[in-house]
Amino acid sequence: MDYLNILEEVIERPEALAAAEAPAELGRAGLAGYALGTLGIFTFLRLQSAVPPGVMSFLMVLFFVLAGNLLLAAITHLFMDLTDARGSAARLFLAFGYTDYFFTLLVPAGFFVRLGYLGAFFSCCLCLAIVLYARIGLVRKLYPVSANKAALSVGVPYAGFFTLGMFAFVYGLAWLIWLLI
Amino acid sequence: MEENLNNNQVPQQPEPEKAAPPAVPVPVPAHSQTKLWLRAVAVLYALSMFAAFAVISKSDAARKLKPNEMDISKLTGLMQSKKDAVGVIPLYGVITQGNSSRSWEGGSQQIAKRIKLMAEKKDVKAILLDINTPGGSVGAVQEIYSAILRAKRETKKPFVARFGEVSASGGYYVAAACDVIYAQPGTITGSIGVIFSVSNFEGLMKKVGMKNETIKSGKFKDIGSPVRDMTAEEHKLLQGLIDDSYAQFVTAVAEGRQMPLEKVKTLADGRIYSGGQALKEGLIDKLGDLQDALDAAGELGKIGKNPRVVTTSDPLENLMSLMDSKLQLFGSKAVSEAMEIEPRLEYRWYGR
Repeated sequence: MDYLNILEEVIERPEALAAAEAPAELGRAGLAGYALGTLGIFTFLRLQSAVPPGVMSFLMVLFFVLAGNLLLAAITHLFMDLTDARGSAARLFLAFGYTDYFFTLLVPAGFFVRLGYLGAFFSCCLCLAIVLYARIGLVRKLYPVSANKAALSVGVPYAGFFTLGMFAFVYGLAWLIWLLI
Repeated sequence: MEENLNNNQVPQQPEPEKAAPPAVPVPVPAHSQTKLWLRAVAVLYALSMFAAFAVISKSDAARKLKPNEMDISKLTGLMQSKKDAVGVIPLYGVITQGNSSRSWEGGSQQIAKRIKLMAEKKDVKAILLDINTPGGSVGAVQEIYSAILRAKRETKKPFVARFGEVSASGGYYVAAACDVIYAQPGTITGSIGVIFSVSNFEGLMKKVGMKNETIKSGKFKDIGSPVRDMTAEEHKLLQGLIDDSYAQFVTAVAEGRQMPLEKVKTLADGRIYSGGQALKEGLIDKLGDLQDALDAAGELGKIGKNPRVVTTSDPLENLMSLMDSKLQLFGSKAVSEAMEIEPRLEYRWYGR
């Protein structure tokens, strides 16, 4: 199986992902996207000494990436389904796998971060922005929706998690101050 | 020759072969360009991965070498387990039995439970009681005292008491069970003794026209009643009770401080002492602040000075306590305290 051919096909004709009968190779290449993307994230984190070494450590990151993307795909699909936009949740999950190839950009970014030319947070945000942009584009191919709705459906879960995270952070901060005084 | 060729019959030339289609340059399809880019990216990715692993393995190796470059003073810290710590248990406010349904109030049962749990923790090598209390009811104080003795007996862990602003009467009783006592020079301590007070509302009741009828099975059944004067017989009986509790207090101090009973009795006339005076009389071991007490606990626990501190703080209990304290601002605490008029036998200093 030539992943480059499949990637080429998806880049040239993203609608192939929504085809009635998608070949198994297409699915495998999507899953390979998660693996390679995670390897990129893991390498970036290792370069910053943010995660311990070892296969188990990598598998943990992979598990989080897969679980997180499954949740994001589910929420996006649910949003689409509730707004009468029909599509396949499984293909959305695979499409997200294709966008995860962009996380490989984190590896060269990790070098720039170590050299002090880039901030780690900025690199991550930049990479995430690219991935989100690619996801919005692929969502539009998988569901018959406008660009705005695709952006909303992809952004809603991120915004939700961000809000929850902020809430937990503020609560934690208040709890800490209260403990101190 | 040319003319001949023109005039004469045109020489038959072999029919030209079917011309091959002109060699038009074929444009490279967009697909191939994409593939080319993908290949380039894949190669770059592989190279950067290779370089990344080289950098990571180099930095990992450098990190492994790091401990060798540490100075000797840090090696003592490496020898001990990172987990070893001193457990700190706060003992603030009047010591009472507390309401079992309000665990955040820190009643004597809760304090005793915390002492037990803290002593059972494997990483806790010594326990520090941070005391700031004027004492409390006899039963509650003795519950904490016996919890300390049991923990010491079962776990052999050292206990250090640290006095803050006030640690008088029952507060000192609890501290007597500890191995070392630290106090500030200006700490108020001592007040070794027992008190039993009862209010008499008889005159007030007469004034407002209120009368109380008591039917009792024995003559002492309503001893300490706030609605009548105390009889001489009752007074004598209560004095006996107080003398017994006092003897328990004096014995606890004599055993804890390893002082002769007679000496303790001369000190235990209910007077209060400053930290400096208490040191002279041998009621405390050293003058110092909380950090000094922590250092001493760390050394007694064989984990060195400036140890890691473990507290018994429970987030849920803290939250409930916060809510309760906010409710107290509306006067609920004052009302509930005003309702508690029953007489109590107390190891308590009322100067606070």
